Amino acid sequence: MTIKIWKFFQREQLFECYQCARCTGSCPAMEVAPALGPRETILICLNQGHDRVVEDEKLWLCCTCNVCEDRCPQEIPICDLLVALRNSAARRGNIPIRLGMAIELLAKTGRSMIVHQLDEMRAHHGLAPLPPAPVDEVRDILKKTGLDEVIEI
Amino acid sequence: MKYALYLGCAIPIKYPGFEAATRLVCERLNVELVDLPFSCCPPPTSMKLVHYDSWLALAARNLCLAEEQGLDLLTLCSGCVNTLKEANHILKNSDSKRRRVNKFLEGHNHRFKGTIEVTHILDVLYQDTVVEKLLHEKVRDIPLRVGCHYGCHYFRPPKVMYPGELSDAESHVPVKMDHLLSIIGVEPTEYSRKFLCCGSPLGANMDQDAGYSITRQKLEYIHERNIQALSVVCPSCFEQFDMGQIVLARKTKEKRRIPTFYLTQLVGLALGLSPKDVGLDVHRIKPKKLLSGIDVA
Ligand code: SF4
Ligand code: SF4
Repeated sequence: MTIKIWKFFQREQLFECYQCARCTGSCPAMEVAPALGPRETILICLNQGHDRVVEDEKLWLCCTCNVCEDRCPQEIPICDLLVALRNSAARRGNIPIRLGMAIELLAKTGRSMIVHQLDEMRAHHGLAPLPPAPVDEVRDILKKTGLDEVIEI
Repeated sequence: MKYALYLGCAIPIKYPGFEAATRLVCERLNVELVDLPFSCCPPPTSMKLVHYDSWLALAARNLCLAEEQGLDLLTLCSGCVNTLKEANHILKNSDSKRRRVNKFLEGHNHRFKGTIEVTHILDVLYQDTVVEKLLHEKVRDIPLRVGCHYGCHYFRPPKVMYPGELSDAESHVPVKMDHLLSIIGVEPTEYSRKFLCCGSPLGANMDQDAGYSITRQKLEYIHERNIQALSVVCPSCFEQFDMGQIVLARKTKEKRRIPTFYLTQLVGLALGLSPKDVGLDVHRIKPKKLLSGIDVA
């Protein structure tokens, strides 16, 4: 199943972009990795269609730091666009392995983290054991929201 | 003053010392905390990117638990506060999204109504009454040159995280941690790229080396200002600096190491708690020498 990207982000807003690259110039991910960056992401959406971006693994090279949006002189809600594009990518199987594993863990345990000997560690700091997470309720909600469109749960 | 304490995942599981410090500090400053059966927030760096409806529904469930007790929700992490504040904002303002999410939750007797606010430990400690109490209870100063790192998700996007508090400046940047720490004798020290990412989400999702490259750049600017320690309000940022310096040193052979503190650990020390009480003994980069230099043991 696909999602409607333009429900998350008004397509017309793509045309507001100056291609000034202030976003990309501020982007920490661009500095250290071969990321697309917001400017190019928008340009590809305009010239070749968003499918091209959605298929590209580089779409995921991002810190979600929101600096790009903060600095855009046109006040384009860039992060809404990036969230929508990635939601779409995940449905087509374009999802980083580590991220997929993190989502699986969350669906299985209700939490995003797991360690051995947790009770001992907490006792070391004078804390009671952590009550179990409401796993059944979480899984049931995630079934209803349709997470299995993306990841088997 | 009473809040539903939202612990999140990383703090109670990976860094329970931060939880211990926070509980002790809140008790001393008359901030009452109530524990509820929350789940993962879930993070703006994972679930939101992968499946928006799941992100919104789980966040709504957490908000409902606090609503049902009539309590505002207190978070300890930049990621948690981002998700829960944004979800609260979205659901309060959109009838259609609220209806949609309430359908997902109705089988479990939750219904989002929009009756509470979401806050963060930094904002709670910064309130006038708490600051007065802190001034009264403080037993020692912590005279260190500290660089504050807030974590992007704590304050961006400003229109959601701090509506109405936007300055005229183009980018809104927070000041509360710097101000709060100066009350306990800390010398808050500016550095370049202070408000940029620590590198954590890029490392967690995609490329650990690339994530640490961002950390390394930040650390260079931090060293430039002779900063002695870092203060953070997010467990992911903490790990990026604490563990990150160990990992980076394997390659760079960098000898300088800067200890990182979670905010309530520094406040706890000023209140007379011991380094062990606030959980400093398990940090990868030990602050022991630094603290004995200012007679804190
Ligand atoms: S900063 Fe805004 S206007 Fe400039 S290139 Fe980026 S998205 Fe376009
Ligand atoms: S949110 Fe992503 S694209 Fe935007 S500046 Fe940060 S790392 Fe770059």
